[in-house]
Amino acid sequence: MLVDFEQIQKAKAGDDAAFNQVVTAYRKRILGTIARLIGRPEDVEDVAQEVFLRLYYSLDQLRTPEVFEPWLYRLTVNASYDYLRKQRRRNESRMSDLSEQQVMMADAAAGGKASGEDHRRKQVKELVESLLGAVSEQDRILLTLKEVEGLSLKELEKIYSVNENALKVRLFRARQRVLNAFEATRVTTNKPAGRKD
Amino acid sequence: MDQFNDELNDLFASYKASLPDVEASANFMPELWRRIEGRQSILLRIKRLTQVFLAAAAAISIVFVSLLSVPAFTRPDGSGSYIEVLADAYPTETLASHGILPREATEANTK
Repeated sequence: MLVDFEQIQKAKAGDDAAFNQVVTAYRKRILGTIARLIGRPEDVEDVAQEVFLRLYYSLDQLRTPEVFEPWLYRLTVNASYDYLRKQRRRNESRMSDLSEQQVMMADAAAGGKASGEDHRRKQVKELVESLLGAVSEQDRILLTLKEVEGLSLKELEKIYSVNENALKVRLFRARQRVLNAFEATRVTTNKPAGRKD
Repeated sequence: MDQFNDELNDLFASYKASLPDVEASANFMPELWRRIEGRQSILLRIKRLTQVFLAAAAAISIVFVSLLSVPAFTRPDGSGSYIEVLADAYPTETLASHGILPREATEANTK
């Protein structure tokens, strides 16, 4: 917990200063999570504000301060998902470029001509984001929370309010799809003759 | 497959490391409070509209109830008893002409 239970109780009781402290404490973490979930830096702050806005108006529904963090994560996931749903049409149009993008990434990786740390980071980012495009938005979010955010199954269970086994199955399937896409990319990269044009 | 699994794990780890920390802009908190207050004013407006609507509905209901209840309290004019009112409405002559009462009774009354 980044804040005391007492702070959360105060914020819940309508103390604006306490709410400000809660926002300040969790802001960075929530911004980071949203950045990884939506993949559009220019909209991260907007979605984060939506999360804290929802937090402000639903804080009175929080039963105990102990469940605050999973609950805040759930608000974050829901707000990110709502954002992605709004952007779906746009995403779909971007998806049509996916295979070409994957090939470009693979070609660049095969050429072994990384020109600096920034370039490599950018490549990794684009590759992972394109691989995550192989699964649905919901599974993409779930996989990001597990593999990138490093949340445990127990934490995910609280966020999604589903049992661990159902989560395991869903995660396994999502990971398999990503793995298949990754394998396909690697095969393309390792083609001995190389691609012409 | 295991090899790809490990590579994918490494890729996720590199991805996490490659993402820069996101810092909130200076405008983050003021903008958040502006949105909170904006939502509050909308909720307040809805609450007021609901109150006005409820008050108007209650007033209309009271008016209808009073309109419906007024005729029930109105009494027919006249200060006599039921028998007197009945006798006024049906004079003895009329009843005799219809054969309900004998003629003698009418004449006795007129004397």
